[in-house]
Amino acid sequence: MKTCSSEDNRQRGGGDGLAQHVTVYSNHRPAALGLLAALPRMRISPLVVVLSAILLVLIVPPALFLLNVSLHETRPDGAFGAFTLRYYRGLFSERLFLSSLRNTLIYAFGSAAIAIAIGTAQALIVERTNTPGRKLAFFAAIISLGVPHILYVVAWLLLLGRAGPVNDAIQVLLRREQAIDVYSLWGMALIEGIGFVPLTFLLMSAVLRSMDASFEEAAIMAGAKPARAFWAVTLRMATPALCALALLFFARAFESFEVPALVGLAGNINVFTTTIYQAMHRTGMPSYGEAGAYSICLVGIVTVLLVWQSRLSRHAHRYQTITGKGFRPRIIDLGAWRYFTAAILVALFLVVTVIPVAMLVFTSFQPFYEGVSVAALARSSFENYRVLLGPGSFRDSITNTLILGAATATIVVPFTALCAWLVVRRVPGAALLDHLATLPLVFPALILSVAFLDVFVNMPVPLYGTVISVIIASSVRYMPFGMRYAYTGALQIHPDLESAATISGAPLGSLFRRIVLPLLAASLVSAWLVVFLLSVQVVALPLLLVGPGSEVMAVTLFELWQNGQVTELASMGVVWIALMTVVSTIFYMLTRHRQIVA
Amino acid sequence: MTLAAGAMALSVTAATAARAQDILLSTAPDREQTIVDGARKEAQVVLYSAMIVNQALRPLTDAFMKKYPFVKMTFWRGDTEEIVDKLSAEERAHNVVADVVEGTGVGDLAVNAGLTQPYDTPLVAAMPERYRDPRGRWTYTRISYFSIAYNTRLVPPDQAPKTYDALLDPRWQGKLAWRVGTASGAPLFITAIRLSRGEDKAAAYLRKLAAQKMINFGSGSARTLVDRVIAGEFPIALNIFAHHPLISKAKGAPVDSQLIDPVPSTAGTMVVPKGVRHPFAAMLLVDFILSREGQQILADADYFPARSDVAPKDMLAAVIPARAGVPELFLSPDRLNQNTESSEKIFEDLFQ
Repeated sequence: MKTCSSEDNRQRGGGDGLAQHVTVYSNHRPAALGLLAALPRMRISPLVVVLSAILLVLIVPPALFLLNVSLHETRPDGAFGAFTLRYYRGLFSERLFLSSLRNTLIYAFGSAAIAIAIGTAQALIVERTNTPGRKLAFFAAIISLGVPHILYVVAWLLLLGRAGPVNDAIQVLLRREQAIDVYSLWGMALIEGIGFVPLTFLLMSAVLRSMDASFEEAAIMAGAKPARAFWAVTLRMATPALCALALLFFARAFESFEVPALVGLAGNINVFTTTIYQAMHRTGMPSYGEAGAYSICLVGIVTVLLVWQSRLSRHAHRYQTITGKGFRPRIIDLGAWRYFTAAILVALFLVVTVIPVAMLVFTSFQPFYEGVSVAALARSSFENYRVLLGPGSFRDSITNTLILGAATATIVVPFTALCAWLVVRRVPGAALLDHLATLPLVFPALILSVAFLDVFVNMPVPLYGTVISVIIASSVRYMPFGMRYAYTGALQIHPDLESAATISGAPLGSLFRRIVLPLLAASLVSAWLVVFLLSVQVVALPLLLVGPGSEVMAVTLFELWQNGQVTELASMGVVWIALMTVVSTIFYMLTRHRQIVA
Repeated sequence: MTLAAGAMALSVTAATAARAQDILLSTAPDREQTIVDGARKEAQVVLYSAMIVNQALRPLTDAFMKKYPFVKMTFWRGDTEEIVDKLSAEERAHNVVADVVEGTGVGDLAVNAGLTQPYDTPLVAAMPERYRDPRGRWTYTRISYFSIAYNTRLVPPDQAPKTYDALLDPRWQGKLAWRVGTASGAPLFITAIRLSRGEDKAAAYLRKLAAQKMINFGSGSARTLVDRVIAGEFPIALNIFAHHPLISKAKGAPVDSQLIDPVPSTAGTMVVPKGVRHPFAAMLLVDFILSREGQQILADADYFPARSDVAPKDMLAAVIPARAGVPELFLSPDRLNQNTESSEKIFEDLFQ
């Protein structure tokens, strides 16, 4: 058993930065193992086999289809033709590939830099200073997680577009005719970067909080000024975590779709995801082969980035001393300057959340959008809301989205809870489960959409164009997220209780149902809410899968933008934000109670 | 179980296919009553169309459901290419959601891909000869004229380009936007130049146009592009639907439409997909869209009806080539699609 667990450790090394925790808990004898030892001597538990099979059935077909379309001609009726490498050759001989790659790199680097610079500064103020009201920043960040990314993008385009208030102000103040052009690479990086400030802030806060303050204190005892101690010790210690975070955001920008589609396509700037999207929407028949080849390339790049990221974050833990002793990081007394930092926090809240949402609210009352002015304000009416709340596809879209979110979360959370528990308890073969459930991370949402489209249109059962098809795809997509939450939760449960149940003769099923699930309940509710919030707001995943009758929110918003119905989009966005604020507030209450976030 | 369900779905489809064909091609004297009765049982109809939601699809749906309250009509709007992609995916997935499909050039694309079935309706008789398909593959719904849109604050009307050659003026460098990724965008413009000037002269012209650093707009419909011109994002947009700027101009927006000799024109067509799920309701909707009543709704929504007995709005007279005295270049769906691929190739070579 000893050999098995150390082998486990090696295998899961590349996992998710939580590997370190495993060693912390590794001297506990897993109860389920003892139970399974009573079963006939098998190397792999049958439960693990069943769960792995389910995961394989979900993940392998789309991946295989993707590879196949990139290597075969596609006939007009959708069947595969002769084997070909021409799509890959086409990739490297085309100018579009190089310009997409170059744009993607600049965009990803720019947005990661902006998100990390602002998010880290905010985390430092909140975690390490005595700024008044700093804890409210958590609430603000969580609330903003409920606002779909596409609405942020739209709001920023309205704000920074040529007819928007920012350009108006520049023209009035500087008397310059040539104002800023948001449909550019820097515009893309800025919008994506600001959109990810809340998440960077939450992640950086967690990093800062888990750092041992004793090194910094030692430096100060040795005569260093606080600023120098912070610079030379704290920041240095946080560097690997920062780099890991940067890589994570870098990878995310590579796979993002909303900003490239709304900002990039309008400014003739192609990145990988939009090139794939355009290959699927060619004049004439879509070029599945080209989309497939680009997709495989993108999956390759994201995989490299994520593996590198997980290596880095594994090393990041080496810089820390994880001990049982309680420590509180030093809080720096800023004196009167603390009002200045409070002002910074307020300004960030305004820029990241209040102003974009206010812009949407303003637009939602307009008959048509032509910038912000007194005349425009006079035109305000409830007309858009009347259309929105009347019968028709908007209501269907909202209902479908709620079904999608709830179903995805309800499938993902119990499933990953079981997987995570088996992994934590080191049931033989469970490491495979961990790898399989984390694998979908390397598939960007748009690519899963392309791949699942291929699967569904070739299935004998008519699933294409139904909400069920989107639920399946998004269950796969969010499996890794559920896994992470459940894993952290399962780590916190001491195996003694399970041992007691085993000794009393409880079978594995009721052990999991009656002991593990109730203990996991709190983290599972958080996981449920996170998966819900994420799955309802992504555009790229359902984009190619939905049809009339199965529209979901995010796609409807995207289509409204494409069709130029900005004011209706805004009113739908406002209603949706109101709904999601309720969900994210519940999430905040739960997590705060459990001290995960604040 | 999955296989059994699949086989069942397939056999049901085969049975309904034969029945659907009878309904679609029926010329029986009681055709109208049969369709209404059948549609009542089907109770549903789905339209995929490239028409603008606020202007046309919503009023059309409201009027249809007012006349036939027992049929719930839903629509989905996409550009022609998106519509054909979606239809093709639905056919392959054996889950055809669309009952009627409409768009510019949709007819030829969908017919060539083998996605449609022929149908017959007595209402075709009301169309001018030019707007009839003798093989019953599609019907014509509306006519579109293409022009350039310009922002009147950024480009004074007397300085707006009035010929194709005027677009080559260096002052417009980096200021001309056109749509990419859709046949009615850049490829249609290129096709019109090729057909009116011949290949050699067209190639020379297009090379000069490429030097103008065209803005390739890939983020929305022609209507959206005109909205961007109104917002001042782009001073001039090529090859947009000529009536869109006029509609906005009437509401006070700083935009106008300029016809250029020759004015490319196309027609919207309507097809019925293979494996249509609600054949009765589909024919009921087809008849409604082609009826005086339906065509009047399109006219009221600022489209140019295909029927000669329904007049377009007076406000739009300025962009009807015959009335404005500018020569027209009509591109039937066949003619348009024959040239689209080669024009797309020229676009990729010169402008991408």
